[in-house]
Amino acid sequence: MSDELIGVLGIIALFVLLLLRIPVAFSIFAVGLVGVSILNGPGAAMSLLASETFTIASNAELIVVPLFILMGNIATETGMSRKLYDAAYALIGSIRGGLASATIVGCAGFAALCGSSVASALTMGRVSLSEMKRYDYSPKLSTGAVAAGGTLGILIPPSTGFVIYAILTQQSIGRLFLAGVLPGIMLCVLFVILITIMATIKPSLAPAGPKTSWWEKGQGMLGATPILLIILLTIGGIYTGIFSPVEAAAVGAGLATLFGVAMRKLSLTSFWRASQGAITTTATVMLILIAAHMLNPFLALSHIPSALGEFLTSLDMGPYGVLLIILACYLVLGCFLEGFAMLVLTMPIFFPVITSLGFDPIWFGVLVVLTLEMGLISPPVGVNVFIVKSVAPNVPLKDIFIGVMPFWLVMLVAILLMVMFPSIVLTLPNAMMN
Amino acid sequence: MTGYENMNHSFMDTSLKRITNVVDRLISLSSILGTLALIFVVLLILVDVIGRLFGAPLTGGQDISQMTMVIIVFGGMALCDKLGGNIAVDIFEDNFSAKMNRWLDITGWLLGAAIFSGITYTMIEGAALAKMLNLSTNTIGIPKAPFQYLLAGFAALTALSMLLRAITYVLSPDKEYKKTHEEEL
Repeated sequence: MSDELIGVLGIIALFVLLLLRIPVAFSIFAVGLVGVSILNGPGAAMSLLASETFTIASNAELIVVPLFILMGNIATETGMSRKLYDAAYALIGSIRGGLASATIVGCAGFAALCGSSVASALTMGRVSLSEMKRYDYSPKLSTGAVAAGGTLGILIPPSTGFVIYAILTQQSIGRLFLAGVLPGIMLCVLFVILITIMATIKPSLAPAGPKTSWWEKGQGMLGATPILLIILLTIGGIYTGIFSPVEAAAVGAGLATLFGVAMRKLSLTSFWRASQGAITTTATVMLILIAAHMLNPFLALSHIPSALGEFLTSLDMGPYGVLLIILACYLVLGCFLEGFAMLVLTMPIFFPVITSLGFDPIWFGVLVVLTLEMGLISPPVGVNVFIVKSVAPNVPLKDIFIGVMPFWLVMLVAILLMVMFPSIVLTLPNAMMN
Repeated sequence: MTGYENMNHSFMDTSLKRITNVVDRLISLSSILGTLALIFVVLLILVDVIGRLFGAPLTGGQDISQMTMVIIVFGGMALCDKLGGNIAVDIFEDNFSAKMNRWLDITGWLLGAAIFSGITYTMIEGAALAKMLNLSTNTIGIPKAPFQYLLAGFAALTALSMLLRAITYVLSPDKEYKKTHEEEL
């Protein structure tokens, strides 16, 4: 049996295991270990298990994962997300579709505190859905806005998606964080424009909210000051080179704790809950990452990535044709696979192809993370849609999926814009970290 | 069921419960260690950053946080599994019968137990080697072997927890499984 055939059988076995509900990490571990054992002997597989497990678990750069998760958890526990929504509400809530737009802006703000899309959707959903219901917003629009807005969590830094991409492809976390800023803001603006257009065409979808005075606007902004300060110090610290991403994450977690205690919103119990939540989420992420480091050698030994690269280049479609095929694969896979698992599974295969075609790895990273975002709201496994459903149990799942569709199309437009104008992604990292 | 079988069954049940209780306590302990390690790392990096501001950064701060990361990652592993934190693709769950779902869950845990046993075994071997070669971190020379042993311990606990859950589910009838599964969710 040829190495390539063993590789293909391994990938098929992996998909079968995944569809049989075997946890993603265990499936990847099993296929990687068995594959390496077949191709290079059981001894090689076992030594890989020992070395990779300890190397990944003691990787200094990966400390950002638990630290940023902790920062987000503390922000949730202390109700800082509510303050963000209140500020956005006070500023733009009175315009047509303003509450949905405020949700998107609130999600973007929260995304700058927390690298998780699910956490963003859940937190903002709890805060905003009841308000939108009170003002007779269409349930499709309101739930769609929350689910789509939540996805900004993995595009706007700090983002767990970028950290994992950086580790898998040996890219700079700082550059990726910088690269995500403009696309994140652009997507946020595109979402707001979409909501405004929808509300203008069909006013019954999103009636205008109550007018707010300048005093209320000021109060709203004042309430969000601690969060804005944390974002400014942590993310700004990375961009100006004052902090490394790891230090920024620790400073952010420290500041969130400090503000929480000062505002009397953070008790010892809630702090402990946030910390324990951070270590369990970290365990989930890190186990998949360790498993990925078992799968990568198997795929390399089977020569699948190089064979696929040769096949794609032989199609004579040009670099952009190949890129579009790869992105299309992500969109299809996103309908069935959890985004993080998809990243881990596909990167060893697609990344060598992308670099051999001469594309910028940072630019490709942002495109991939955006397609992962789309997967979060794609039927049938749109995780964010299920999260919103858990917060809005009375809205049928079908309506939420219909509600997110316009946002999904806007994301597609954003991807096309970034493919056509790579400077949207690369301007900031090139200007600040060259 | 005969009286002897009944007695045997209840003896196994009681023993299993006792072992599960002990393992649950160990899982709580390991998660407490992981959580304390995380808080420690936050403080350590903050001290380092503030120290640097005053021209006195912490020597070997990165070495310490690197080794503490091992406790953060694996300290929470068993708790993560117990809380159902391992991501699975469940699009076909409703298409499978309850019995099949039950056996798939059991298969998943047994596979997980095997993987974590493998990690335990290889980590103990790796630790022995690291001890023999005096492997340590770059700046302040923290020995790696104790942390590898610690990782092995956390992995063994995770493997044991998964194995126990698989055994409990194998021994429990279908109805009981469904109830337990729903309660767990």
